[in-house]
Amino acid sequence: MHPGTLMIARPDSALVIVGHGSTVNPDSSAPTYQHAEEIARRGVFGEVHCAFWKEEPSLRQVLHAVDRDEIYVVPNFISEGYFTKSVIPRELELDGALTVRGGRTIKYCEPAGNHARMTELLLHRAAQIAPGVPPEKTSLFIVGHGTDLNENSAVAAKREVERIREHGLYAEVLNAYMEEEPRIANWDRLASQPNVVVVPFFISDGLHSYEDIPLLLGIASEGREIFRHNPYRLRGRTLYYASAIGTEPLFADVIVEQAAAFDA
Amino acid sequence: MSRDLTKFLAEWIAEGGSRIGQIAILATAAAFELRHDEDVSRDGLELFTKWEDARALASRDEAGKFRPLKTAPNLRRGWRLVLADAAQLRKALDYFYPAMLGVRASHLLGNLVPVPLRETLGRQTGMYAVTKNIADQEARAMVDRFCAGCLKQRLWELAAANPQPVQVQAGKLPLLCHEACNLLVAEARKVVKKLPAAK
Repeated sequence: MHPGTLMIARPDSALVIVGHGSTVNPDSSAPTYQHAEEIARRGVFGEVHCAFWKEEPSLRQVLHAVDRDEIYVVPNFISEGYFTKSVIPRELELDGALTVRGGRTIKYCEPAGNHARMTELLLHRAAQIAPGVPPEKTSLFIVGHGTDLNENSAVAAKREVERIREHGLYAEVLNAYMEEEPRIANWDRLASQPNVVVVPFFISDGLHSYEDIPLLLGIASEGREIFRHNPYRLRGRTLYYASAIGTEPLFADVIVEQAAAFDA
Repeated sequence: MSRDLTKFLAEWIAEGGSRIGQIAILATAAAFELRHDEDVSRDGLELFTKWEDARALASRDEAGKFRPLKTAPNLRRGWRLVLADAAQLRKALDYFYPAMLGVRASHLLGNLVPVPLRETLGRQTGMYAVTKNIADQEARAMVDRFCAGCLKQRLWELAAANPQPVQVQAGKLPLLCHEACNLLVAEARKVVKKLPAAK
């Protein structure tokens, strides 16, 4: 646990974590629920709730499920964008960062993925997936979706790559995308090192991390088993493939700190 | 603190409340036990003891299919969930029937405002902006078809609140829908774009 997390206590406040969710599979909302359950166990907030765009409780329902009058809302999104700027404020009927309504105060926090500790989480995940592999002989890829719709997540992924580079730990740190240049499909041409670590810059696992990216990497798709067969030896390299960064348990700390940052 | 939904729940049970959707609540002196209401007198049920277990129990139907709509009448059977207190019970019920306890409490307090479908569709943006083009007749047919697979009582109509009073059965917590869900909004998009409807 990060030392700062120990200092945070909001027993008279509620935390609402907002995820995208899915009508097709439970993998999209699973990390949001797991982080919420972990934060509830720690007792940091008086109550912890989740809400989703595509699942229940919806953004129109969730505030009815809350007791406390001070409510922190943290979007569990990888970056700012359409959902954090338009959909969530509209559906929760927010006036801006601070909404005072009917005796309640709603504090709309920055998305989890915007937190400065994301860099540390990516480094942690990369080290964990490739234990004992020397980073000075490793190319690290941070993989985003990369379409116009997700422009902001590409910006956030680039920002993280630059920050990880500044640490000087890895021989090279590279951005790659599923649908635009530089493409992750060309990973062996883009990477110069014998070891390659790939971390998807997504909030949850799903088709992208189970099937699409493995297909582009050239490793067989085995559903969630894909993360249990590291390393993969192909194209003359040793490849380590991580699950989505949003599934990292330390994400719970980031959500708590993003709420605390509102008052800082 | 403006509300205390845990207290609301405990009082509702003390007054004889024992059913929410397809869930039966069996209250004893020491604990609360939840079961599928068709499993009340069934033996050999798999035992669960943590409120977090409710999430997995509510997640998939009998055939293992994901349940995006928790008030669909397809809760799986064969389990029992024993919880020590009303606080844990509240959390478990929020997994089985998200926000339904709080929505009912808001309704009793006069704080639940039904939102007509036209208003919900009218504020959509992005890929759902097109839903405001649905014709009245198409919208009515869609609601009749799509909402038939949901246990909630609909408090809204196309252009106004539903004038029908809420039906309350003895011992049963009514599941209330004060606004169309995203599943219905997504269905409206399919209708407008003439895409295949959800099964």
